Amino acid sequence: MAEIRERYDVLVIGGGIAGMQAALDLGEQGFEVLLVEKEPSIGGIMVGLNKVFPTLDCSSCICTPRMAETSHHERIQLQTYSEVRGVEKKGAGFSVSLLRKPRYVAEDKCVGCGLCELACSIDVPHEFDYGLGARRAIYIPHGNAIPQKAVLDVDHCIFCGKCEKACPTHCINYAQEPEEVNTSVGAVIIATGLNITRMDAKKEYGAGKFQNVMNPLAMERVQSSNGPYGRVLRPSDGMVPRSVAYVQCAGSRDRSIGVPYCSRVCCMYALKQALLLTHYIHGIEVTLYYMDIRAFGKGFEQFYRRAVKEGVKAVKGKVARITEAENQDLILRVEIVETGRVEERRHDLVVLSQGLLPGWHVKGVIPVQEAEDGFLMTPQAKVSPSHTTLEGVFVGGVAAGPKDIPDAIVEAGEAAMAAANYLQRSGWRATARTPLKAVK
Amino acid sequence: MNETTQTGKVVKEKTPLDILRERRGGMSEELKEYFKEQQRIKKALRKALKDGPKSVPDLASACSLDKQVTLWHLMAMRRYGEVVEAAEQNGYPLYALKEG
Repeated sequence: MAEIRERYDVLVIGGGIAGMQAALDLGEQGFEVLLVEKEPSIGGIMVGLNKVFPTLDCSSCICTPRMAETSHHERIQLQTYSEVRGVEKKGAGFSVSLLRKPRYVAEDKCVGCGLCELACSIDVPHEFDYGLGARRAIYIPHGNAIPQKAVLDVDHCIFCGKCEKACPTHCINYAQEPEEVNTSVGAVIIATGLNITRMDAKKEYGAGKFQNVMNPLAMERVQSSNGPYGRVLRPSDGMVPRSVAYVQCAGSRDRSIGVPYCSRVCCMYALKQALLLTHYIHGIEVTLYYMDIRAFGKGFEQFYRRAVKEGVKAVKGKVARITEAENQDLILRVEIVETGRVEERRHDLVVLSQGLLPGWHVKGVIPVQEAEDGFLMTPQAKVSPSHTTLEGVFVGGVAAGPKDIPDAIVEAGEAAMAAANYLQRSGWRATARTPLKAVK
Repeated sequence: MNETTQTGKVVKEKTPLDILRERRGGMSEELKEYFKEQQRIKKALRKALKDGPKSVPDLASACSLDKQVTLWHLMAMRRYGEVVEAAEQNGYPLYALKEG
């Protein structure tokens, strides 16, 4: 594990697409960046997505080159599997304390061969596949993980020692312990991404108890070729679904669950998944129950029209209730706007278009304010959208509010530029800035 | 290195794994039960699959398991190279033990 230095120019918190963009933009300008990620791999939500809208490009094919570039950049130090415990204003900069969680694997020796994972005897629900697939107690986070290093989940370890025996480079280190480290930085960028609203938030949709009511991120994994089933199946019994429903606004624009805002991405991700289902499964019926379609981005309206033209049924109606049939099909009680009638419709599988929540809360860690909705407050949102309530601390991506991938990247770039300007004014330097080495 | 006590008894030196096990209080009863149940299910699935490819509902019925539980364990076995998808029948993929 690389040592944490005494000083960096910028701390970037979060190694998703926004954090990587901010780190790369700063690194390219000659600033020394410490990028801290709580998970064992960078890549965030995006590396687990199947495809992106409206282009239907492979998501990990876009994300992984960015991950590799971040990892190999000479001015960016990655600190994965670590948490920021405190950020405090100190002189011209900030003092930062971090907690490095033990991987029980010597990162400098691990070659990512996966032999430890094959030797391990216990299967555990894999977080990357939202529990639908399995991993072992010691595992490489996923095929595109960076760093491609094993991590031991000690809570599920049966202490058999097989991983140690299987490791060809002798990198298993059971003696590792959590470690607190401190450093100083000149500026901070918060890019901590998103969570989705809870499956059990709405009782009328089964409160997370129905096996065939899925969250949209789990559906992304199910649709991915490297997903938990290797193809699209329903979780209750492994059947190829013939009829799938998407329930829009199932976790947004809903004061009853404390999410009054529009999450901005649900219409498009649902349309994308619905269209792809018609490509993956011959003869499938996919119905999208919506109140409004918000297709406001570049090429979005055209994508909506394409999805409908290619067979996705868009029905303007409000799903009032979901109940489960004996064979675990779902019965949707829907008020159809066009006819004004309430109908009951049966589907094999339902995806709830859940809304976006902040991925992390700063309270007690960084002295900046959150807005009423829980996202970071940006007091000058019109002119300086990445500025928080504390000078020198900036925000990029969904940490400031719901947005799609291109908007998150643009905003992260803005946060990097604002941090660079701030560092010029404050005079903070981690080291003398030198030009990057020319590529030969 | 091992140590010898005054009575001549050889005490094996604790390995880092022993120390970690002790520090964590060993395997919890819950984890022991989880692991045991997992071994039992996998054994039952292997036995049922020896008769030929089967769908998740057929396997669940043969092993007296819940269908969702069957699918999860089957997919774990598929991920780690024990099981392959063999065909599809009536809207369900059939799974078989990997040869060799």
